[in-house]
Amino acid sequence: MKWFESPTFDFIKGQKIMYIVSGILFVGSIIAVLTMGLNYGIDFRGGKEFVFDFENDVEVTEIRSALTEPLGATPELKLFGSPSEILVRTDAEGDITVVQNLIVSNLQELYPDNPVRVIKTDLVGPRFAEDLKLAAVNSILFAVAVVFIYILIRFKGWYFSAGAVAALIHDVVIVLGIFTIIEPLVNFNVTIDQALIAAFLTIVGYSLNDTVVVFDRIRENSLIYKTMEFKDMINKSLNDTLSRTVITSLTTLFVVTVLFIFGGEVLKGFAFALVVGVILGTYSSLFVASSIVVELEKRASQAKS
Amino acid sequence: MKKQNNGFKIGMIVIFLGLTIMYLFPTIQWTLEQRHIEDMPEAEQVQYLDENRERLQSLQENSLSLGLDLQGGMYVTLEVGVDQLVLELAGDFADETLRDVIDVAQQRSIDEGTDFITEFIAEFEGRDANAMLSRYYRSDTENITRRSTNEEVEEFLRGQVSSAVERAMEIVRSRVDRYGVTEPSILQQGNSRLVVELPGVDDEERVRNLLRGTARLEFRLTPNAEDMNNAKRQIINYFSNEGSTQADSVAADDSLANQQSGENPLTQVLGTQVRSEYVFGVAAGPDTARVNDLLEREEVQNILPRNAELMWGAQPYATSNNGLELFELIPVRTQIEMTGDVISEASVEFDPNTNEAQVSMTMDSEGARRWARITGANIGRPVAIVLDGYVYSYPNVITKINNGRSSITGLSGLQEAEDLVNILLSGALPAPLDIIEERTVGASLGEESIQAGFYSVLFGLIAVAIFMIAYYHAGGGIADLALILNIIFILGILAAFNATLTLPGIAGIVLTIGMAVDANVLIFDRIREELRAGKTLRAAIDNGYSNAMSAIVDANVTTFFVAVILFSFGVGPIKGFAITLMAGIASSLFSAIVITRVVVDYLTRDKTSTVSFG
Repeated sequence: MKWFESPTFDFIKGQKIMYIVSGILFVGSIIAVLTMGLNYGIDFRGGKEFVFDFENDVEVTEIRSALTEPLGATPELKLFGSPSEILVRTDAEGDITVVQNLIVSNLQELYPDNPVRVIKTDLVGPRFAEDLKLAAVNSILFAVAVVFIYILIRFKGWYFSAGAVAALIHDVVIVLGIFTIIEPLVNFNVTIDQALIAAFLTIVGYSLNDTVVVFDRIRENSLIYKTMEFKDMINKSLNDTLSRTVITSLTTLFVVTVLFIFGGEVLKGFAFALVVGVILGTYSSLFVASSIVVELEKRASQAKS
Repeated sequence: MKKQNNGFKIGMIVIFLGLTIMYLFPTIQWTLEQRHIEDMPEAEQVQYLDENRERLQSLQENSLSLGLDLQGGMYVTLEVGVDQLVLELAGDFADETLRDVIDVAQQRSIDEGTDFITEFIAEFEGRDANAMLSRYYRSDTENITRRSTNEEVEEFLRGQVSSAVERAMEIVRSRVDRYGVTEPSILQQGNSRLVVELPGVDDEERVRNLLRGTARLEFRLTPNAEDMNNAKRQIINYFSNEGSTQADSVAADDSLANQQSGENPLTQVLGTQVRSEYVFGVAAGPDTARVNDLLEREEVQNILPRNAELMWGAQPYATSNNGLELFELIPVRTQIEMTGDVISEASVEFDPNTNEAQVSMTMDSEGARRWARITGANIGRPVAIVLDGYVYSYPNVITKINNGRSSITGLSGLQEAEDLVNILLSGALPAPLDIIEERTVGASLGEESIQAGFYSVLFGLIAVAIFMIAYYHAGGGIADLALILNIIFILGILAAFNATLTLPGIAGIVLTIGMAVDANVLIFDRIREELRAGKTLRAAIDNGYSNAMSAIVDANVTTFFVAVILFSFGVGPIKGFAITLMAGIASSLFSAIVITRVVVDYLTRDKTSTVSFG
């Protein structure tokens, strides 16, 4: 089997379409985040989260209305993998034991013939949540900085660094936007929590992996085809590595899809972010990173002459 | 030259495989043993476990351990209340100014995520540059006197904080050990935090209380009953006036009637029918907060005798007609006669009459002397036994007690008695501990996660393996072999570094399966390119491997950096993800470059033999 044996796609010419597609996605994501707000999990805003396992199926709306009064505010509810398991997230103040017992007794009252047990509890204090948030932001900024510097050293051109980092920001912002938009529509947990930050960093690593392979080919081709125009050389490099880009993306997409389907409820949101991230990462290393490198190089050489 | 090179590579592969098997061997043995034990009849099980205890224990210790999210258990982050400690260290010197400085500093350190002591000193000196901290802090052992400089006091405070954290850690460890948890882990995090991991624990409520219980045991006398009764009358009067003024504004005509029919806001929630002259009042459980609110008013506090304060009983003494639990409000003296420090022994005992569990305590010689003096001087009067701000009992002293014995009664049951003994014996915490993070996973959810993880690895592996063979034929098959070895290597690395396998860790392995073939994809694509350019198979293989190397290295180094950052930022399970990612990158480089090369070279050792790269 051979795909893309000697492809001659004009990726740079596709730039215009790419600018429009990416622009819409990017701006749309920012607008979504600004208007709908980031949907933080308890890791970053503090609170309590419980997963209850009932013997028989339950009705989310019933539970929501039954818990609203005793908790003093409407809790967030999601099914947790099956119709008999629910996740309850609440900002209710007070001791976790008290809140937990309060919820359990109300649930028992609501469903007297449907025994319930707690299979997972999470508590994050507001102060600790601030610390986690700070650490998360720092880690992402730090990762981006390290990537920028490493590429600067290895590929000796700041526009390579800028291209790679632009692609990363592009990917992460769009994943954030998608998470914000789909939150009310899906039945699994897609809040922004520590696991999502781990997914972001993985996407950063993955997207970078792709980008670096292309850059490596550019470096190699620039030594062989010294007279070729920069833009054409980049295009050739993209085509040279296209087969590899597609194959690796596919194998990675296989496994993250498997993880999404079979990895269980705890990993659903994380795996979903990876699925979206792998697709975006492949797209951005083909279109975004190199286009920006070409653009920046063009401006740099124009400024020189 | 080539031969030698491959000899070295084969040697490396053999060594790594050997090491991996060595490190994974206990895990395999342990898994088999567990199966074996499960199959035995129960009676045999006990005997077998008994006979092989040591061997099994060492197997378990050396085998790859599962994270709390996979085997179920509790993960708790505790924070030592440094602000409380700094206040308590001041002891009787503490005044309003100091309290205010501590509050402000605490708030600022929360808002800005800074160190409390630094904020405390800054705030203190910011108010009055000439003020001396030695006004508040003295220590004979640390040589902190009236003339100590602020720097010296700061150093003293920091020393106290770090020793308080160390002490808290020891106490928590001792409590956890007494509770009985296999393989608990207690680590210090940062300056004032403890991370406690308790596998297999499912009684969250009990553990929470056990971990943060400060167990401040106090023996206090009760104030003069007559003075207290006077104060009580005045307080009720104070509120009945208020009741009537409120009623005035609503319906002036009925003011008198209202007053008499009990519109008094205090007596509405606090019953005054009590069983002893030493009790202030009784209230139903849900009403206690309201009573606290009312009694906290400054006017009320001024009426109370200066040496008295009110505390709730720990257990309900009765149940009201409508099923609510009733609690007593008991006046005690503010002065603490003796604290739990003097307790040298504690054990659970049963009251011979009621058969209720109680805690019997023995005091050290100094404690026994003081106890004899206190009991001797107060025959016929009650002594309140106060734990963490609640009165457990207030028995009347019948006779002078010389042997330094006492007991705590009025407990809810055997479990509370056992936990109390545990806490008393482990010692009192130097400062309150706050649970700032807690994650509990039930064993059943953990089992589901193990299964989900296993299927993800299996299906991911199958999907990638089939695709690689379909696309790269024999080359793909070789890459698949490397992939399987790669997974075994990752597990070996985890076992060797004593790391824990978590659910995100398994996710990391699944992800590695997808990304590990990348190096082979890069190499094989290069080989195909070289073949297209008309090179011989041997030359194409040589060039393919060497030309792909720079891309492989750059791509993996950058991903490795990201994994390191994830490791240093992440907590708990996320760390597990970063660890498997790092292990995966390292081992996939080795298996994709070295192992496949050896196999490919072996298959093409003759001029005539070929390997298909699709």
